[in-house]
Amino acid sequence: MTAAPAGRAPRPVLSSRPDQAPRAILRLAWLHAVSRRLPAALALLAACAAGLRGTLYGHWDAYGALQLPLIIEAACAAVIAVTAGSPFGEPERATGRWLPFLRLGAAVALTALAAGLLAAAGAGMPLAGGFPDLLRNVAGLTGIGLLGAVLLGGPLAWTGPLAYALAGVYALYTDWHPPTLSTPWLWPGRPPHDVGGALCAALVFGAGLAAITIRGARDSAGGDPPA
Amino acid sequence: MTAATAPAGTDGRPRASAVPLPAAGRLLRLELRHSVMLGLLPLVVALFWYNGYREVMALPPMWNLRAMTLQNRLLLDLVIPATGAAAWMGSREGRRDMTDLLGVTARPRWSRQLATWAATTAWAEIGCLACIAVVYVMTARQASWGGPLWWPAVVSVAGVPPLTAIGFAAGARFPGRFVTPLITVATFFGFAFSTQAASGDHSYWQISPLTSGAFDIGAAPGVASFYRYLPDLSIAQVMFAIGLTAAVLGGLGLSAANGPRLRWLTALVTAVGLGAAGTAVTLAGTGRLDPHGMIVIPALHDAASGQPVRYTPRCSRTAIAVCVHPAYAGVLPAITAAVGPEVTEVAGLPGAPARLSQVPVAYQQGPGNSISISVASRSQSAFAVPDPIPGQPGMTSAEFAAQLAQTLGLRLMSDVILSGGDRAAELNPSQAQLAVIGGSVRFPPSVEERDLAPLFGHLLPVPGSPAARAARRFAVLTPAARHDWLAHHLAALRAGQITLAELP
Repeated sequence: MTAAPAGRAPRPVLSSRPDQAPRAILRLAWLHAVSRRLPAALALLAACAAGLRGTLYGHWDAYGALQLPLIIEAACAAVIAVTAGSPFGEPERATGRWLPFLRLGAAVALTALAAGLLAAAGAGMPLAGGFPDLLRNVAGLTGIGLLGAVLLGGPLAWTGPLAYALAGVYALYTDWHPPTLSTPWLWPGRPPHDVGGALCAALVFGAGLAAITIRGARDSAGGDPPA
Repeated sequence: MTAATAPAGTDGRPRASAVPLPAAGRLLRLELRHSVMLGLLPLVVALFWYNGYREVMALPPMWNLRAMTLQNRLLLDLVIPATGAAAWMGSREGRRDMTDLLGVTARPRWSRQLATWAATTAWAEIGCLACIAVVYVMTARQASWGGPLWWPAVVSVAGVPPLTAIGFAAGARFPGRFVTPLITVATFFGFAFSTQAASGDHSYWQISPLTSGAFDIGAAPGVASFYRYLPDLSIAQVMFAIGLTAAVLGGLGLSAANGPRLRWLTALVTAVGLGAAGTAVTLAGTGRLDPHGMIVIPALHDAASGQPVRYTPRCSRTAIAVCVHPAYAGVLPAITAAVGPEVTEVAGLPGAPARLSQVPVAYQQGPGNSISISVASRSQSAFAVPDPIPGQPGMTSAEFAAQLAQTLGLRLMSDVILSGGDRAAELNPSQAQLAVIGGSVRFPPSVEERDLAPLFGHLLPVPGSPAARAARRFAVLTPAARHDWLAHHLAALRAGQITLAELP
């Protein structure tokens, strides 16, 4: 093995020169985003929003009108959660001191984008629960997904939001078929302006953000990197 | 280079498999040990317990109610873990960039994929069967009559392979990190909401394995109680599930086959699968609702299966025996409690029935998904148990009692007071007759005046009228006292010779 010539050394991502710092930070953020497939995730979030818009044109019964948005919100949360997986693992953690901030920024930005895109898709349409319901569900489901990424690894992080969404679908079903599931921890079944449900969702989202920021997604067992 | 040695046992001798398996069996065993579906089984159990089991077990212990509800709930709970696990396993080779490496092995890629899919499906089926077993064992211990309905269980089991095939094929074709959640959501969406488009008994959407009967009836106590459970729709659903699985897996093989023979084989499997699935959908579209509440598909129907079930009714020990189908034994106390006073009051009077027997209701398809339900018999001693019954969603004991009072109680009293052969009295009852009926039928507080409005002047006194005040006086008497009074004055009452002032 030979050392690389000094003149062709790779350019440091974060430059020590102050005038180049913003550009370097942007480059670092971009590299982080690309490694987590964030551009593809953005496209999928936009597709989910388009899907929501399309379904809202349909004629659904009361079940469908309430449950369909939740399923699409869960899809968005699952997409955000699986972006948390790192393809580099230990080497990245050992060298990247900016990594926690990048993870936090990516999760917050994607969640905000998902909520914004879905809200835009539902504008002017009969979206059950409206924006408060949508924001609460997206945040809470994303929190579950991020916690799942920390515990199970990014590639399997989808299990949490989707399984929870199924329980949420059932909670909405019990609105017609008592006994109603009224625990605030099953917030999709609560009214949009319910404080208890919103607090629980916010708590889970906060916990997910904190966990993903501090710990990052767990490396997959058996060297099974996310594609 | 040294030759690889066989793994040694603790005694130093080469360890051999307890049961020698062919290569495909060994591959399947390996895949069974490494399938992610095994790890997701606790999630299956948790989801089923939360979403399905509690609701199914809260239903009255009737085989038809629980088995048909189970068919709907269980598959819905399996969609996410089974499809997700299959997609994850299907994308394994691509995710690990091992497609080229494994491409040079002796086995065709399709057979490797089939082994992985089979292992995932096997674990999902084990989860499915375990859930069915728990519900069926519990129901067997609680049910008052009948035995397991196997067709709903068969449809549930047959519904799993298509889920895993769809997930697996998507994962194998697009092995990215997003494919697993997206195909899972898409499958759940398509599966759960496929029935929303259904309309009437001729709908092709009945082919969904979640559909356990006619829309707007579903799992009803009157379905498959008096008549056998018709397997017509279930057969079509199983046929569809098998066909869809074959088509998806065959399609997967078409893209993975690397030889003309294998390509032909996969093409054949795909074509047969598509043919079977298409035929099943077509058959479902020929269905019609039979009077017993089940879907008949003429091409699959066996006329012998539509025969009534033999049973020995369960009867109450009241003055007039109230007899129900043994599957309804659990609600017999509620029925006798609801109409007990009326039964005591009219027992032994001329024109009173010696026994009240439950008869099946007749179902008839209306426009769209509407279904009309009527009592099959007009006999004075026949009655239908209201549907739903206590324990089913949306029906409390108080509402059940109210419905019984409005139907059985009111009819029992009006038959005794107004009939007696005087047709004119039936059409134009006297105020005293209305007062006696109104004072005898005990409506629970939940029955509101607007519910009874159509009966005012025909079977019940108009509120606020002198007859209504006389009815309240009459209602104060005990059932035995009312019986004694009727025993002495029924003939005169029927003849219109009793005035309101003469009522006690």
